[in-house]
Amino acid sequence: MGKTWTQLEEIQPTVLKMLKNSRVKNRVAHAYLYEGIRGTGKKEIGLLLAKSLFCKQPGDGFLPCENCSNCKRINSGNHPDIHLIEPDGQSIKKGQIHALQEEFSKTGVESKKKLYMITHADRMTVNAANSLLKFLEEPHAETVAILMTEQAQKILPTILSRCQIINFKPLSSVKMVEKLVENGIKPVVAPLIAQLTNNLDEALEISNDDWFAQAQKLVLKLYEMLKKNSLETLVMLQENWFVHFKEKEQLDRGLDLLLLVFKDLLYIQLGKPEQVVYVNEKPRLEQYAMQTSGRRLADQMEATLEAKRKLQANMNPQLLMEELVLKLQEGSSFV
Amino acid sequence: MKFIIQRDHLLQSVQDVMKAVTSRTTIPILTGIKIVATEEGVTLTGSDSDISIESFIPKEEDGTEIVEIRKPGAIVLQARFFSDIVKKLPTDIVEIEVENHLQTVIRSGKSEFNLNGLDAEEYPHLPQISEENMFSVPTDLLKALIRQTVFAVSTSETRPILTGVNWKVENSELTCIATDSHRLALRKARLASENTGTYNVVIPGKSLTELSKILDDTSDVIDIVITENQVLFKAKHLLFFSRLLEGNYPDTGRLIPNESKTEIVTLTKEFLQAVDRASLLAREGRNNVVKLSTFDGGVIEVSSNTPEIGKVIEEIQSQSIEGEELKISFSAKYMMDALKALEGTEIQVSFTGAMRPFVIRPLHDDSILQLILPVRTY
Repeated sequence: MGKTWTQLEEIQPTVLKMLKNSRVKNRVAHAYLYEGIRGTGKKEIGLLLAKSLFCKQPGDGFLPCENCSNCKRINSGNHPDIHLIEPDGQSIKKGQIHALQEEFSKTGVESKKKLYMITHADRMTVNAANSLLKFLEEPHAETVAILMTEQAQKILPTILSRCQIINFKPLSSVKMVEKLVENGIKPVVAPLIAQLTNNLDEALEISNDDWFAQAQKLVLKLYEMLKKNSLETLVMLQENWFVHFKEKEQLDRGLDLLLLVFKDLLYIQLGKPEQVVYVNEKPRLEQYAMQTSGRRLADQMEATLEAKRKLQANMNPQLLMEELVLKLQEGSSFV
Repeated sequence: MKFIIQRDHLLQSVQDVMKAVTSRTTIPILTGIKIVATEEGVTLTGSDSDISIESFIPKEEDGTEIVEIRKPGAIVLQARFFSDIVKKLPTDIVEIEVENHLQTVIRSGKSEFNLNGLDAEEYPHLPQISEENMFSVPTDLLKALIRQTVFAVSTSETRPILTGVNWKVENSELTCIATDSHRLALRKARLASENTGTYNVVIPGKSLTELSKILDDTSDVIDIVITENQVLFKAKHLLFFSRLLEGNYPDTGRLIPNESKTEIVTLTKEFLQAVDRASLLAREGRNNVVKLSTFDGGVIEVSSNTPEIGKVIEEIQSQSIEGEELKISFSAKYMMDALKALEGTEIQVSFTGAMRPFVIRPLHDDSILQLILPVRTY
């Protein structure tokens, strides 16, 4: 954790320019909404803003020194006037927002400045969001709020209207692939990883992960089994799938991978084979693409997306997968 | 850092600062106790960011050596483990040494603990206190001030400012006010020192309750320093910091009525017990309401009626009743809280009509006042 200004400037030049100007002109808004997909550096830039505001000797009026006690403590998460709220399990609960409100009814521990960051702000329960709203409406002086989300459309419009929205542009996947290859990831897996994350560190981690390699194989195997149209798919779920995709995040990733298979098939059908991300499996996929229709692929993608949504709503993973498999087979094998 | 210390002194200090440490905190460093060794002695600090307690162990006291400082320095140790370790050490002498890179060794007799410490630089900085803006209050008076006001603070978070006690210093007089918008407690005290400056701050009720638990009943003076965002209570070797509440406290001056239409003087204890008995049956009903009526000849009737349960009527002979006849209802709980907080055997209750707030004071004592809003009944 704790990237420097220059490192982040490479990833998000526009955002940092905005940030710099608001610091230099001393016009920091009372609430920001950082919106952008996973790995675009939202949290790092949030911490950077915190350091910029709290640093004892900021260079040129905005550049955090990374050396004073405030910068150090922000990097290690120990600054008493900076509060980071993360989802407690599935969602951000009302109690967490309450604790925050209590915190902000008091004076700062060390200075008058206070800052709070809420990650995954879209996962606030309705109650929590409404409690937060109350205090976005009446901001205290010198209090800065940073909300972060991957899905801005899921945030209450009343909250949206009270924040300055900052868009975090993801690296285009072509650029990302180039960057991954530069960092020593094999050209055959780079496109796939670039689809899954926009964060270089995370990408490197994934590429070295055995679990991920195995997951890829399993997803392709699942697709093949589906095509055979047999009851064996359900058996395969029990034997291999659930053993491998134990946690919710893992299952979510599995569904992402499955979605990418359908996407690849569609690309091949549309005559854009260069967009395929499962580069290794291209010959096999080309063969499969001839055996299915675009319409059917679209339906299958929809079913997968629906399954992803249900997963977030805490559906039992086993039921979820079985339902998905039946849907993908269009139920025909059971007649 | 290296020093050798008497275990019982260390234990006492650790127990004091542990009162401020909570396990549920979002800031990891606050699960620890900060230990600073200087040439003068050893300072321990515990904090939950709302309150911070600092305990100082001097190098020597009354001619006996308590701490032997070998090398000054600072470290933060996990509070839970450190306090348990200190409690169970085998001998009366403890040696604490920080070796390279935050590794801390605690030796006592033949036992040796290695504890991973945290960097003391990471610990929140407590405000630096200038000795100028300071006033002093004896411990017993401070405890009385807290006891007589803090019960009236609001527990609801809808208006956070009311969860604190308003402390005002003006013309060498300290005024403490607490209200939850249904009742109000006010206590004044003269300060011994002149030139105390003027302050107007709101101290969280919880902090004051905690403070009063830590202080012993002595007549030693406590120095109080109010800074921009913290208040400090300074006892002999103990420093208690609390954050303040942000915002403006409502102006309560206008709430307290100046004239009265009915004045009752009665014995505190007798009245308290009567209200307590009347509240027995009211407890189940709405709001714990009891009714008070005055009659000729100085008789007060305290009654309560809950149709499903039953009713209770009690008469008290008061010392005197002056002014109009009156029937009024109020919350028995508020009344009992107020009566318990008052000192003095006789109290004076001043009413200004059945729908107006009324004031309870000890007879011939202006320093304390309790105000209660009546309940509308039909």
